[in-house]
Amino acid sequence: MKRFNHYIILSFTTLFGFASCRKEIPQINRPDDYIAGSFSEVFEAYWNGMNNNYVFWDIDTTNWDRAYRQYKPLFAQLNLTDSNDVRKGYTYFKEMTAGLIDSHYDLSFNDPWLADSMSINPAYQRKLNSPAYHDPINPGHFYYTVSANYLDQGWKRGFVNLDQQYVAVAGTINQNILYLYFNAFNLKSLYESDDENAVKIVEEHFFELLKNTTNIKGIVLDVRGNGGGALVDLNFLVGKMIDKRLDLGFTRSKQGNGRLDYSPWVPAFVTPEAGWKAVTAPIVILADAWSISMAEMTVMAIKSLPNGHFVGERTWGGNGPLTGNTYFNGGQFSSPLINLTYTSSLALKYRDGKIYEGVGFPPDLEVKYNEEALLQGRDPQLEAALAMIH
Amino acid sequence: MNYRLFTLVILFDLIGRNLKAQNRLEIGIAGGYNKNYLHSSTGYRAFTTYEAESGFEIGLPILYHINDWFAMQIEPAYIQKNYQIKRTGFFEGIYQKNINNYIQLPIIAQFSFGGKQLRGFLNMGGYAGYWTSGRVKGSAPNVFDNRPEIADNEEIDHFLQVYQRYTYNEQYNFDSRRDRRIELGLLAGVGIQYLLQEKYRFFVEGRYYYGLTDLQKKYMTNQTPRYHDNYGIRIGCLFNLKNIFQNERSK
Repeated sequence: MKRFNHYIILSFTTLFGFASCRKEIPQINRPDDYIAGSFSEVFEAYWNGMNNNYVFWDIDTTNWDRAYRQYKPLFAQLNLTDSNDVRKGYTYFKEMTAGLIDSHYDLSFNDPWLADSMSINPAYQRKLNSPAYHDPINPGHFYYTVSANYLDQGWKRGFVNLDQQYVAVAGTINQNILYLYFNAFNLKSLYESDDENAVKIVEEHFFELLKNTTNIKGIVLDVRGNGGGALVDLNFLVGKMIDKRLDLGFTRSKQGNGRLDYSPWVPAFVTPEAGWKAVTAPIVILADAWSISMAEMTVMAIKSLPNGHFVGERTWGGNGPLTGNTYFNGGQFSSPLINLTYTSSLALKYRDGKIYEGVGFPPDLEVKYNEEALLQGRDPQLEAALAMIH
Repeated sequence: MNYRLFTLVILFDLIGRNLKAQNRLEIGIAGGYNKNYLHSSTGYRAFTTYEAESGFEIGLPILYHINDWFAMQIEPAYIQKNYQIKRTGFFEGIYQKNINNYIQLPIIAQFSFGGKQLRGFLNMGGYAGYWTSGRVKGSAPNVFDNRPEIADNEEIDHFLQVYQRYTYNEQYNFDSRRDRRIELGLLAGVGIQYLLQEKYRFFVEGRYYYGLTDLQKKYMTNQTPRYHDNYGIRIGCLFNLKNIFQNERSK
């Protein structure tokens, strides 16, 4: 019995010894709970916020661990109360984030010493440095030139100034090709607004044409320069042109604090609007390098139609939906010094299995931006879309 | 008697003859119900928690008695180590059950005490497991599915009113950058056993598996580790080969 007890005690001691081999669970704090007492705290809050909330770590080539090793000592040398150091910190943030593929990504600061500095937008910086860079087409081109030079008499155009300026133009080309341009997605909200607004009138005109034109030969949806907006507009607009669910891809969100902790892929689709019928004529969507976010999702939706075509340029490449951090356990967050780290809440994968974040969605028919033609009142991209319908 | 059955009988007979010289070798079958907890943290994730999930295990214990009170045991087994990540409060209804299938080999030292027929025992040892496959079941909000619309005067009680529920039940895809499929750990068990006719040893055991290896490889800085804690109740029966074969031949 003595030996029995001896072995039992020995076994328990060994077990307890091994049991202490587990790693400790680190305490991970909410980025906006850090105190802006020093640059080290500012860096830790931001770096950890990105570590836990950025949704593209599985495909992004930025080495975030290397960024930690490289920039932690650099930030530690800075003084948050020194304006020169704050500006130096700004450049470090710019360097750290330069390669991030999230093309919604935007770092804005709340420090008065950075009031004259632009927010850090890696995708914009990359575009700006690209040889193919061009400014967005001025909405005036659609408002004045397209309506005057391409649309039949009876077109409608209008704008409304709210949180931003919303511009829309609608009409027909050769009587049986419908055309709709709008510069941002807020269509449903403006349409359902109790207040009369000029964009609502344009929308009503387009929907009337869509409903009542018996011999539609084609539709041109023009989202060039469209910066995106409300996701509900996808059903509101494209849902009026289909009669059954239209699958365009999948989304997924973060599911834990690990960089590779994701939810399964959830189908992304357009739901038909009640009371509308499917359009069988060709639908051509015009988009360019300044078509962003919801504009790109709409391109993907149209491209998923058997009668859908995409003419223009490769889109911006920021197509992950955005909402508050709490809803999908990831995405945008705030931290000391940084007003907002604006980043996608979900990753979007197109129906072909590819993620076009950071690279943009490619057109069926590429027609490059032609400033000279635009200045002469011509629109080669629109002409190519019309040729595709004819 | 078909060929396979004949071979099996011959094999067992040979084993029986060869083990005559050995004192007490027992083989058997055991199985039971378990509850698995993920020892980890969801950090500052709002309304998000890990919860235990039930599963089962089935094993083939092989026990060798060194003396009256001490035996060594190995037990190749299939075991589920399941857990759930769920959201609470406003986000109630969003969850994912992770069903994790392991093949496991425990090596156990068994200390027993008590009478000849009815004995208590204490198991202590370690195990190595391999995460063979997994399944994820759950429901998630679909940001692209926001119908039916919420009326202006309607209150919102939960998130799945805003976005419709997408339910899924699919195979878990391992990510070789993150998932560590080999698991090492410790185990401890306590139970009672009843010896019937010197041949059959029935037992009931409460067992605890304590994972020592993180379920994830070290792939990121400030990584939150994840370990399995598995509590189970199991029953089984061990067969004394020597006595079974002795009696068979004496018939």
